[in-house]
Amino acid sequence: MSSAASVSPQPKRQIRLQEGGLVLAIVFFGVLLSIFGGSVKTPQFEIGPDGARHRVFITSATGERTPAFVEKNKFLNAQNLAQLAKDTSFIAIMAVGATIVIISGGIDLSVGAIYALASVLGALVFHSSTGGGIWPGVFACIGVAVGCGLVNGGMIVALGVHPFIITLGTMAVFRGVAFVVTKGQSVGDFPPHFRDLVRYETSGGLSLVPLAVMVAVAIAGSIFLGRLAIGRRVYAIGGNELASRFSGIRVERVKLGVYVCAGFAAGIASLIALGYYGAATSGDGQGYELNVIAASVVGGASLSGGRGTALGAVLGALLIQMISSGIVILGIDQNYSQIIIGTVVILAVVLDQLNNWLAKRRLAARAGRK
Amino acid sequence: MIKFQNITKRFPGVLALDGVSFEIAGGSCHALIGENGAGKSTLGKILAGVYTADDGAILLEDKLIAPANPLQARHLGIAMVHQELAFCPNLTVAENLCLGDLPRRGGFVDRAKMRDKARAMLAEIEADIDINAPISTLSTGHEQLVQIAAAIGTGARIIVMDEPTSSLSAGETEHLFQLIAKLKQRGLTLIYVSHRMEELFLLCDHITVLRDGRHVATERIADTNPERVVQQMVGRAMKQYTSGHLQREPGGEALRVANLSSPGKFSDITFSVRAGEIVGFAGLVGAGRSEMAQAIFGLDPAATGSVSVQEKELPLRSIKAALRAGIGLLPEDRKRLGLVLSMKCRENTSLAALNKLTRAGFVQMRREARLAQTYGDRLRVKTPSMEAAIAGLSGGNQQKIALAKWLARECDVLIVDEPTRGVDVGAKAEIHELLDELACEGKAIIVISSELPEVMNLSRRILVMREGRIVREIPRAEFFEENLMRAMAGMAG
Repeated sequence: MSSAASVSPQPKRQIRLQEGGLVLAIVFFGVLLSIFGGSVKTPQFEIGPDGARHRVFITSATGERTPAFVEKNKFLNAQNLAQLAKDTSFIAIMAVGATIVIISGGIDLSVGAIYALASVLGALVFHSSTGGGIWPGVFACIGVAVGCGLVNGGMIVALGVHPFIITLGTMAVFRGVAFVVTKGQSVGDFPPHFRDLVRYETSGGLSLVPLAVMVAVAIAGSIFLGRLAIGRRVYAIGGNELASRFSGIRVERVKLGVYVCAGFAAGIASLIALGYYGAATSGDGQGYELNVIAASVVGGASLSGGRGTALGAVLGALLIQMISSGIVILGIDQNYSQIIIGTVVILAVVLDQLNNWLAKRRLAARAGRK
Repeated sequence: MIKFQNITKRFPGVLALDGVSFEIAGGSCHALIGENGAGKSTLGKILAGVYTADDGAILLEDKLIAPANPLQARHLGIAMVHQELAFCPNLTVAENLCLGDLPRRGGFVDRAKMRDKARAMLAEIEADIDINAPISTLSTGHEQLVQIAAAIGTGARIIVMDEPTSSLSAGETEHLFQLIAKLKQRGLTLIYVSHRMEELFLLCDHITVLRDGRHVATERIADTNPERVVQQMVGRAMKQYTSGHLQREPGGEALRVANLSSPGKFSDITFSVRAGEIVGFAGLVGAGRSEMAQAIFGLDPAATGSVSVQEKELPLRSIKAALRAGIGLLPEDRKRLGLVLSMKCRENTSLAALNKLTRAGFVQMRREARLAQTYGDRLRVKTPSMEAAIAGLSGGNQQKIALAKWLARECDVLIVDEPTRGVDVGAKAEIHELLDELACEGKAIIVISSELPEVMNLSRRILVMREGRIVREIPRAEFFEENLMRAMAGMAG
């Protein structure tokens, strides 16, 4: 505290403790699952001369043909990891958007409903534009989601009502619209080229598109929050809205922007899910808003605003997904999964607060030595 | 008798109290005086259980006490009268007075009994207040009386008063003084936290001076005098800082405000400030100075009139226009309005200048770091680095960052509202020097301050505001505290 500021003007990149802790938790849990998950026998396949996959059979001495199996670690095998990555990606993509909203001091409860509405409207466009390529459907999906974000943000700014209330309302409205449009029916049956694109698999049978999109969204989110001026303003508004206003930040505009971001992220997630599953119903993404908020919070976002990162959101989503798939792998009764996940969310936040409290004490102690 | 022994209290970034020891005689009125940030309020709050000391002991009648919360302090007979917001503003006077111990009958609140009890409590201190009015409708003075009634009604024998007169009218102050005299007669011990010298010499028997968290002196009022106390508070004879900008001739008109009004806040404000000039604004709390400053900065949606910078009129009610014209505002409450405490020093410094540091939407991190470093060095901000969290800095250094934010934006017209509130003596002098330097560089500066010596030291002329109007303009040659006080209080000049 005694020396005047005289360090190099180079801003130091520092990995936040929170994310370090998350990575540690994920690695620890992964090792745990690899060791205690045990192994599983899966049928062996080979690629035949015609390019198709065939079961491998073993012909015994007696001439009996039995299917061949390979033994794999239940957790640590390519299939399972790809599955985990895919399951994580939808929540993680939305969690990046939700984290931006939470950093600004707001909340968006409607992301699950936006996801559903974008899915069904996108599906309808895909369904009807059989010959028109994939772009109309893509634009419909993303456009609807961004529009929903604009509605949220617009109402929050214009009416000055707490975002919890506005998005609680739009959560019901968006899902209701999706239901009315589809009359509760599933919408599917659209051109295969989009599905083929999203479900593109490597030769090992891994589908990497959702994973790649998740990584892209995480990077984009990190750049948005960490490097762009608007990202800085999001942190400022969440940290102290009045002081931001007094510094000339146009608070309304930024707030509108963060809800559009959340909608945009939900749109991307719905687009990928649409391609992956090939159908949509108005009931899709039910309860996603809570998973998404949980992922953000586990990833270090503070509901009082001003804190959080895109990377944290992705890691938070991954940890939650690992736990729920870990429950299956470890053979724990499925009925316990909600209890365990709920406990983890609370634990993560308590640990974070403990960490903050310790940091504050260190600061106070330093002042004492002045 | 209350005995403080070695009381130490740390807050993040500040050592608020540093081994303070002294005694307070039972049944006396004991003054605690010191500059902003000297630790006087903190000490009062430790006694009343609002804070707990990190170190040291409090003895009450030779028994060790350590009130962990205000309720425990109440049980020991200690109560505090706060400056603001001690009650639930939406509840009535009667409800608030009985909140700790609501009369009940079969689980329901006995409203008749509650009103009787409240009436009796108010009668005890001869206060005439409607017990059915919500607290939010009372004046500050009345709210204070309700606080005192609540304290005495719950059997308090020791009352800590934290700056009780800071927002009272003259009549209310008079009433409070009479009440204090009566309470003293009844044998209550009063601890009077204030920095208003005249009051202390009028009311108190003993005086304790604190400076930068340390105990300086405890003396009988009869044995000391105001000059001596001021010296003890400041720690050295008051150095008259001579402002360099006064030696230069100010330039052309930089800011002109004409007929600026906002209903219920201020009306018909007209003045101008020249480049290189510092104009002071004096007035009592509530005279409308901060509100006027915010209106000039475009923050008042109800403002009418005109504001011009360099003879170009600005659209009112637009921060964007004010910023573009080069106006900067250092607001009075830095924690609430000035800083984002969750961010780093660097990020706070660049917050208002972010537009200039952005290319294609990207913040240019190196330029930003260099800019922050430049102003951090220039203002001699004491921090391990500009990357440190601002929450860990002392009040004075936080204020320097809040000021650096506007310097980084290179504004030509700077409005500073209470620039040294809650700032230690050293940083205060540095901020004064800096403002002088800025004026020498040709910036037009408006200083709003409730500390008369501050406005008097810095300004070329002082405008006195009272009840939302500019009532007098005083040139430097006529700067006398008495002059200013009379104008502020509305007495004939």
